[in-house]
Amino acid sequence: MPIKVVLAEDSYLVREGVRRMLANEPEIELLAVCEDYDSLLAAIASTQPDVVLTDIRMPPTNTDEGIRAAERLRQVRPAAGVVLLSQYADPAYALAFLERGTEGRAYLLKERVADLDQLLAAIREVAQGGSVIDPKVVEALVAARSRAAPSPLARLTPREREVLSLLAEGRSNAAVAEGLVLSERAVEKHINSIFAKLDLPEARDAHRRVKAVLLFLAEQG
Amino acid sequence: MPTRPVPVLIVDDQAFFRVAARAVLAVTPGFAAVGEACSGEEAVTRVDELAPDLVLMDIHLPGISGIEATRQIRAAHPAVVVVLLSTYTAEDLPADARDCGALAYLNKEDFQPEVLERIWVEREPAL
Repeated sequence: MPIKVVLAEDSYLVREGVRRMLANEPEIELLAVCEDYDSLLAAIASTQPDVVLTDIRMPPTNTDEGIRAAERLRQVRPAAGVVLLSQYADPAYALAFLERGTEGRAYLLKERVADLDQLLAAIREVAQGGSVIDPKVVEALVAARSRAAPSPLARLTPREREVLSLLAEGRSNAAVAEGLVLSERAVEKHINSIFAKLDLPEARDAHRRVKAVLLFLAEQG
Repeated sequence: MPTRPVPVLIVDDQAFFRVAARAVLAVTPGFAAVGEACSGEEAVTRVDELAPDLVLMDIHLPGISGIEATRQIRAAHPAVVVVLLSTYTAEDLPADARDCGALAYLNKEDFQPEVLERIWVEREPAL
């Protein structure tokens, strides 16, 4: 069965290019093509997509419409995936996009769209609940954080790595506890230890979580 | 008498933008893509072979830049119109973009049928 996709992009050139590339792919069914936030929300409501492929900045405010639409999708259609297209590797946008979990989420630079195989791979991945983080975005996140000793992940205990790998699947603390047969309190202790070892002591909690997950995903990739 | 569509050469090293530009031309009345090139050197050769009236030229290219390619194309074929495209804002354009013989510069974000039609109409003397 084809993956049902809604596309939202305000740049005419990118929109038409993506539309045309996806039109030739039998594994993709393009349900709607939108140019702004309101029409994207309307399309999500009326077409029930498996994946939303969206620009970040669109009318009306040209700021973070794509991220807000992804949040909305999480509420109304939690199983649907999102591929966010960004002109720049912006750590703040990436963190905002991923702070409620990386499951079914991909953050790609627009330059990747030039490679149809990469775009299709990201669409496929998020449709199955996986995640794809553009290497340049991970790089920007790592650069944004203070340069610590090489490979801070090496400092984690095997148990902490297990906890982190489940966080990377977008699980809540309670779900991690259940998965590893631990108390939730024990999971919290592990997470705090992970944050400390990865040199992430100060940022907001949700952001520390995302950064830890991204470091993990970067190493896996 | 129906006028023939304006033959257009698309020059960009990124396949996506070549596909995208073709898509835009396909829905712009009066224009037809006649070929593509992936580098400045190839663009110069393709203009010789295909004789387009309009070249959509990316600035950032491997080898010679879109600006240098424009200079060479305009020197050999003064009637060929070149429109530069890139992701630069107008203020960030390289200084030599302004005197390479290109008719206009367009940010890729702004490239759409109406804009292309306007550039073309305004460049042609009224008949």
